[in-house]
Formats: sequence, structure tokens, C-alpha cells
Amino acid sequence: MIPIKYNVRNLMVRWKTTAMTILGTALLVGSSCILFGLVDGLEHSLKVSGDPLDLIMLRKGSTSETTGGFEASKADEILNLKGIARDASGVSLAAKELLNIAIGERINGTHNNLIIRGVQPASRELRPDFKIVVGRDLVEGRGECIVSKTIARLYKGAQVGGLLYFGDKEQYRVVGIFTAGGSAAESEVWADLKDVEKNTGRDGSVSCVQVRAASQADFDSIQKTINDDTQFRLAAIPEATYFENQKRSSLFLKLAGTMIAVLLTFGAMFAAANTMFAAVKSRTREIGTMRALGFSQRDILISFLGESVLLCALGGALGLLFTLPLTALSIETSNFSSFASVSITFRFGWMVAAVALIMTFAMGIFGGMFPAIRAVRLEVIAALREL
Amino acid sequence: MKFFTYIIRNARRNPVRSLLTIASTGICMFLMMILISFFTLRNDVAASLRIYNRIVVMNANGFAGMLPVGRVREIAQVEGVKHVTPFQWFGGKFHDQVMPFAQFSVDADNIFNILDEFTVPPAQLADFKANKDGAVIGRRLASDWNLKVGDPLPLKGDLYPADMNLTVRAIYDGEVNRNLRMCLFHYDYLDEALKRVTMSSASGGSLATSSSRVSGNAGMIFIKCANAEVMTGACKKIDEMYRNSEYPTRTQTEEAFGKMFGEMMGDLKNAIYGVGVAVVVSLLFVTGNAMAMAMRERTSEVAVLKAIGFNKGLVLFLVLTEAILVAGLGGVIGTLGCKFFCDVVDIGRYSGGFLALFYVPWNIALFGLAVSLFIGFASGFLPAIFAANSSVVDGLRKVV
Repeated sequence: MIPIKYNVRNLMVRWKTTAMTILGTALLVGSSCILFGLVDGLEHSLKVSGDPLDLIMLRKGSTSETTGGFEASKADEILNLKGIARDASGVSLAAKELLNIAIGERINGTHNNLIIRGVQPASRELRPDFKIVVGRDLVEGRGECIVSKTIARLYKGAQVGGLLYFGDKEQYRVVGIFTAGGSAAESEVWADLKDVEKNTGRDGSVSCVQVRAASQADFDSIQKTINDDTQFRLAAIPEATYFENQKRSSLFLKLAGTMIAVLLTFGAMFAAANTMFAAVKSRTREIGTMRALGFSQRDILISFLGESVLLCALGGALGLLFTLPLTALSIETSNFSSFASVSITFRFGWMVAAVALIMTFAMGIFGGMFPAIRAVRLEVIAALREL
Repeated sequence: MKFFTYIIRNARRNPVRSLLTIASTGICMFLMMILISFFTLRNDVAASLRIYNRIVVMNANGFAGMLPVGRVREIAQVEGVKHVTPFQWFGGKFHDQVMPFAQFSVDADNIFNILDEFTVPPAQLADFKANKDGAVIGRRLASDWNLKVGDPLPLKGDLYPADMNLTVRAIYDGEVNRNLRMCLFHYDYLDEALKRVTMSSASGGSLATSSSRVSGNAGMIFIKCANAEVMTGACKKIDEMYRNSEYPTRTQTEEAFGKMFGEMMGDLKNAIYGVGVAVVVSLLFVTGNAMAMAMRERTSEVAVLKAIGFNKGLVLFLVLTEAILVAGLGGVIGTLGCKFFCDVVDIGRYSGGFLALFYVPWNIALFGLAVSLFIGFASGFLPAIFAANSSVVDGLRKVV
């Protein structure tokens, strides 16, 4: 086998070409990684949102909290069901929630629909890792709200002490900023249930009820009670399933990301092929010499393919490196199925690594294939005679 | 121009390299066209709606708010208003698919006076108006689901606790940049169904409780104005009328309404544009590299050119033109190829309801072309400078 050192030195001798190719592929790999990091972040937010023992109650037939909605009297009955978990201080882990979608104005003057969630105290326990990071939690009945970090950064009046204004009748004083373990709640404005009821004129109705069962057996029995009872006409959906169904919202990003990654891989593949063709051409005599020394065609093939993969791997690694500082990146856009604001935090996870790896190898192998085959096919005598 | 043959020959000298560079540029430009079009399409479509003089009224609070249907009649009295219809988003499930296409309940007698750029066969339209459970659907929607006039179109309520058992009565058609994937049906049909659930709730039935989901909600109100001059005035007048009511309104032109959806994308737009910039920079490296490699192989040739009297400027011109030619060719294939691809293949059909229509506007295609020419110029610049300034003696002496 031809030592790998040969390839490394070759890349170093032609460092200008090598550097250009590496930078070119790095940018393409990096771009795809950013998109998949966002897809991963979005999917992660849906995955961590659902605790295995959590149930979400919606009106039968509706598919999401924003389209569900039923009478508060039914919700109160649910709160009194047996088998609901309690926290350390004995408070039952069940909450009525009311969602409103209102137009918010960003600081740059553009608009998006914000989800305003009227919550009860237990709502916090029902989210993973709920924490107030700036300011304080809201006090019930005082028209206060807490917002996620991204919303505080982007929206007019959403900073602590500011006033989130949706209309003369609906406005909330921002008293704190919260995080919720990267879950879907981090795209929302939280206010007191009673305040939202009053402001939207939707007294006596809820969008959903969130419940945590005390045990697996209770989980099953609550689900059965709700789903079978003809009086309720509600559906109790395990929260994990609920969020699994909401993945539709990430499907679009995922498809777009895949398309971009595939096309960019082809673009980079051709660039790598170009570089490798030049490498083979300028080394014709060397290849002849190696063949004359007794290296087999297979050795030559492997060596050139290896060089191509090495070249692309360097580009891929650099591209990955570009995305590292982005772990704090958080973007806000619109959910394509509910038309409401959604914040996506970049996540440097296995998905990003896999994309980089697959792209790198696809480029390296397919880009290097034809140049390597050309190198193998060279006639030894003719190659040695070449200038 | 007399050097054109020479430049072409040079570009074809290493056909594999040129082809790879062209392919690389072409693919990246193809992608860029799709990305940019995705974000600008809405504005392009919205801007083309300007000539129809339409305005949209919604609750000031957003889509979730109530807009009493009685206002349709009140707004019809406003000066300059020609036709009015409620325009209520239904968002039902079809074949158990959530939100597969846009569904609106409308005033059947008025809707095609407002959306007057659409064509509906008069007999079908009359049939639609006459049947309470009738629906009119776009041509593309019909072909997506293989629906014909007379076919049933059952929609299950998601947002509303009511199912609509519609029958296709008419199919409308229009220009390619119009939404041909809507389903429009009678407002009364939905409203009566909602009244029934509201009433039966007294006996323990289900009820849509949020105020916007009971009967009597117009959702939005869609208006055709007499001419462009009255539009701004009408918008102001309508908002003024309801300022102090229980449900204040937000009235805007159809163009502004369409652009609002574009705004929602927010940061995603910037992120994708960032990707676009990265791709352009990357292409600079790729094509620049190819050009540099080509020039390295031709060092002695350039020296000969200079020795026989070609001046610096001419050498610069020859190399730059070659670079622009190669990148430009890739650009033409990528941008125009993408435009025609999207014209021939109906992307919207495969988007599962995300995109009602997709095409690459001409201005975007031309922009892409300009970008590819810029890439050619910028990538050829350094190699061209080096070639123009290379020493004749060194070049002649050099053995490649």
C-alpha cells in the first residue's frame, strides 16, 4: 500500500489548490449543518416537551391545542379525576390552559402571530425544567406575563418591564423571562389563565387540559375514562404522541434541509473532482513510476480515493467547526401548520454530525472516483514518457 | 469579438474541468433560485394582486379573533365598496390529512365578483350557487386529488366541531401565479352547522366555546373596491367604524395582507439568505480554483502570447472572459433551468399543502444570472491579474 504520508504531502505541496477546495467544501458542509442543526433543535423541542406520564385533553376531532377548545366545566371535572400526580407540596399536577393567537409586532416593525397561553400554577411543573431566568414569575390576576428569551429579544415591549400590547383590551406587563428545557413552551407568552379569559372574552372555555398521571396504571385509567365517556366528547392524548403528531411542522424544514444538503453535496462533489483531476494530471509521471516500482492498480486507486476523502474530510471538519459557535443561535419563524411564532434553537447533535459525515464521504468518494479511475487506467510506459 | 473563438477553444480545452465547473455552478444556482423564490414569491404574488383593488378585514387581534358576520352588510354600505363576502378559514381534514389545502366558506353569490380573475363555467357556477352543500375548487386541487364535478368532498372539522359534507359543483381556473388550490363553499352551510352544535350543547353536546368559533363569525371579510383611489379611504373608514366596538378591526389591502405572511418567516429568511451567501462564496473558491489551475497549465502559452505582442489588458480580458463564460454558462443552466423546471413540474402538488403554487419569478432568475456572472468575474480576477503580470522570460523558460 502506498503510505498515507504520500497523499498528505501532495496536498501540502499544492496548498493553494488544497486550501481553496477545503474552504469551498467547508462552506457547503457548514451551510447544510446549520439547517440540520435547526431541524434537530425543532424536533428536540417537540421530543422533550412530552413526559411519558403526561396527558393532554383536547376536543375530540381537533389535532392541536390551537384548534381544540371545550367548556371549562368539563375541564373542572377532569381536574377532579382520580390518579393525578401531586408535587412535593401536595398540589395536583393538572392545569387548564387557554390559548390565544394574536398579532405581535417585532422590534424591526414586522409582524408575526404569537401564542399567548393562559396558564395555571401547575402548568410550570408540567413542563420540563421550567425556570425563571430574568425577573420574577407572574402574579395571578394582575395582567402580568412572562416570555421566552427569543420573544424578549425580538418583540416590541417584550422586555422585562415592558408592555406587550395586542389591543386595547389585551395587554400584559412583562415581569420575567423563562426557559423550559428547550421545549415547545419556549415559543410562547405565558399569562394567567384568568387574565387571558377576561381579555379575550372567552370565559368558561379552555383550549386544553394538561395532566400528569401518578403512575402507569392511573395513566391508562384516566385515558380510558376520558376517551370512552360519551359525556366528555374529548380525547386524552399522551403528550409524547401529541408532540409526535406536531412533527408535521418540522417536516417542511427537514425536507428543505435535505434538498439543500443533497444539491450542495453534488456541487461540492464536482469541485472535489476538479481538484482531483488536476492532481492526477500533474502527477502522471509519478503514477507511472509507482506502477513501475510494483504498486498495483488497486494501490493507486485506494491512494487517490483516500486523498480525495482526506481532502473532503478536512473541508467537512472545518465546516463543522464553523457551526460550533452557533450553539447559542436561536431563530424565530412561523410554524407552517398553525401560523404561529416558533423559536428554534440550533442544536449540535448527532443529526448535524451525521449530515457532515455523509456529505463528506459522498463528496470524497464520488468526487475522487473518476480521477482515481483515470489514474489507474494510465499506461505505465506512456505515463513515464509524459512530460 | 475576433478573440471569441480563441476563448471558446480555451474553455473547451479541458472539457472535463469546464463541465465540472459548469455543473457545480449550475447546481448551486438552481438551489439558490428555489431558496430565494420561496421567500420572495409571496411578495411577487401579492404585488400582482394590486390591480384587483381588493381589501381584507380581520379582527385587530389576529386570525383567532371574532368578526361578526353582520358587518358584511354594514361594510357593503361603505363608499367605494363594490362587493363583499365573508371569508372564513375552515381548516378541515380531508381523508384524515390535516390541512391538506385551503378551505374558505364564502358568500357564493359574490365570491366570483370579487375574485374576478378566475374563470368558472357559467353553468357550473349557477349549479354551485343553487346547492347549499356545493363547493367550488381550483383546477390544480382537482387534479391533485383527481376530483371531478359531482364528486363528494367530505371535510372533517378540526378547528370547528362540525363536518362539511360537500359536493364539488364547479372548478375554477386562472393564471399560474394564482392560487388554484382553494376550496370555496357556502358560508351559510357552515354557519347553520355551527348553530346546531351551539344549540345542542345545552343538552350536553360538544361546543366550540371560544367566541370566534361559534356561529355568526365571518372570520375575515373580503372586499372588492370600485377603484384603486378609494382603497386607502375604505380601509380607514372601516377601522374607524369599529374602533370602539367589542371587536376592533385591522383592514388592509390584499397586497399588504399577503406580505404579512412573508413577514412571519422572520429569522428563517435571514438564515436561508445566509446559506445563499455562503454558497456564493464557496462557488468563488470552486470556480476560482478551476480557473487558477487552468492558467497554471497555460503559463508558457500566456508568455508566448505576450511575446508576440499581446498587451496586458488583452491578456486580462481573455482570461476574465473565459471565467465569465464558464460561470455564466453554469448560471444560465442553473437559473433558467430551475425556472423552466418549476414551470413544467408543479412543485405545489408535492408539498403536501405547504405551497399552493411555486414558480421562479423572472426578476429572481435574472438576479441569479447576474450573480453567476459576478462569480465568473470575481473568480477570474486574480488568475487574470497573475497571467497579465507574469514575466515573459520566466513563462517561456518554464517546463510544465
